Amino acid sequence: MSGVTPADLADHAFLLGMADGHLAVLARDCWVVPVPKGHRLFAEGDTARRFWLIRSGRVALDVHAPGDRQLIVETLGQGDLLGLSWLVPPYQWQFSATAVADAMTFEFNADAVRAACESDAGLGYQLLQRVMSAASSRLQATRIRMLDLYAASSTVRGEP
Amino acid sequence: MSQVAAPVLPARYQVVERQEETHDTVTLCLRPVDQPIPAYQPGQFTMLYAPGIGEVPISISGTGPDLGLAQTVRAVGAVTRALCACTPGRVIGVRGPYGTGWDVAAAAGDDLLIVAGGIGLAPLRGALLAALGHRERYRRVVALVGARSPEELVFARELDRWRDDGAEVAVTVDQAVAGWTGHVGVVTQLLGRAEIESARTTALICGPEVMMRLTARELRVLGVPTTRIRVSLERNMRCGVAECGHCQLGPLLLCRDGPVVSYEAAMPLLAIREL
Repeated sequence: MSGVTPADLADHAFLLGMADGHLAVLARDCWVVPVPKGHRLFAEGDTARRFWLIRSGRVALDVHAPGDRQLIVETLGQGDLLGLSWLVPPYQWQFSATAVADAMTFEFNADAVRAACESDAGLGYQLLQRVMSAASSRLQATRIRMLDLYAASSTVRGEP
Repeated sequence: MSQVAAPVLPARYQVVERQEETHDTVTLCLRPVDQPIPAYQPGQFTMLYAPGIGEVPISISGTGPDLGLAQTVRAVGAVTRALCACTPGRVIGVRGPYGTGWDVAAAAGDDLLIVAGGIGLAPLRGALLAALGHRERYRRVVALVGARSPEELVFARELDRWRDDGAEVAVTVDQAVAGWTGHVGVVTQLLGRAEIESARTTALICGPEVMMRLTARELRVLGVPTTRIRVSLERNMRCGVAECGHCQLGPLLLCRDGPVVSYEAAMPLLAIREL
């Protein structure tokens, strides 16, 4: 028993509106896990065996860059899904994740959730809808950042 | 001749303080040498004249000493580079103030939401300080600030003071390296976490036009009426008194009818590519 109830999960923004039966299945493979600031949740290249729903705190996704630098690509917080790679072969993390503030999470066994989705297409669809929504929002945010909107420009002002 | 009667004549102002905000942006505190320009409203702008070089429209970011002004300038061309290089003691020309203000008082009794991108925080700083000066008149005062990187965040030294004075301040940056414990992402991502009560929120937005459009769109999704969203628009302001037409945006002359415009009026204009 994980100790997490369907009612606990129902309050999380990512799972809002999901049927009780589906929440009960997810709750079986879920634990409440506190994550202290500085803790590395996963590292780029590792197998993605878990995923998280963040209840509070902040987690930064980062990537290693030349010059021994870690570049933060995105910060996730309350209400966010942490981890997409667990759902897509080869189930390998594409980025690393570190808590940048004390966090409280629901941690899920990814293998078990994938298996549950295989055997219950309804659950799989509900979950995929939410993952797709999160991925879509992040894609749009990434596209906006690629525009480099805050770069200096004198074109509007018409200054020589 | 008074400044009100002849607003196209610059008044002499002396630089009394120069604060470096980022590698290319400074805030100049200006004190009138003679007669000051008329009192300003947060959101209005002045035309700053760098002697012998030229004139540019710059938003007023706050009040300076002795009826003076604070103006935050980003070096993007010959005039702004000259202004940014001004050290204390230099005298420059100031005319104005021109245009419309944020009308912060209209949000009294409700929540005030300020969304700023990059140097867009400069024209909003005055609005934020005005609200914090009468904090009891508002329910929540929320400031969401986006910047390219932590190093390019303007007024970074003031954020904690604004929090102490009763504002909820959240910052996000586009790029950061390990060690940055704040948010990384676009400013619109902060909206979802701000727990906005849409019917009681007045939103003031300033930043790059694309950022303002996306922010306003997100606010509409959250249920904030377009009549309660204001944006600050910038075009090629030259005369400041609606005579030359350089700053025309559809039916608006932004030096007079803007820069602060209701999103209800701005939305259809921003959708026209030719404008």
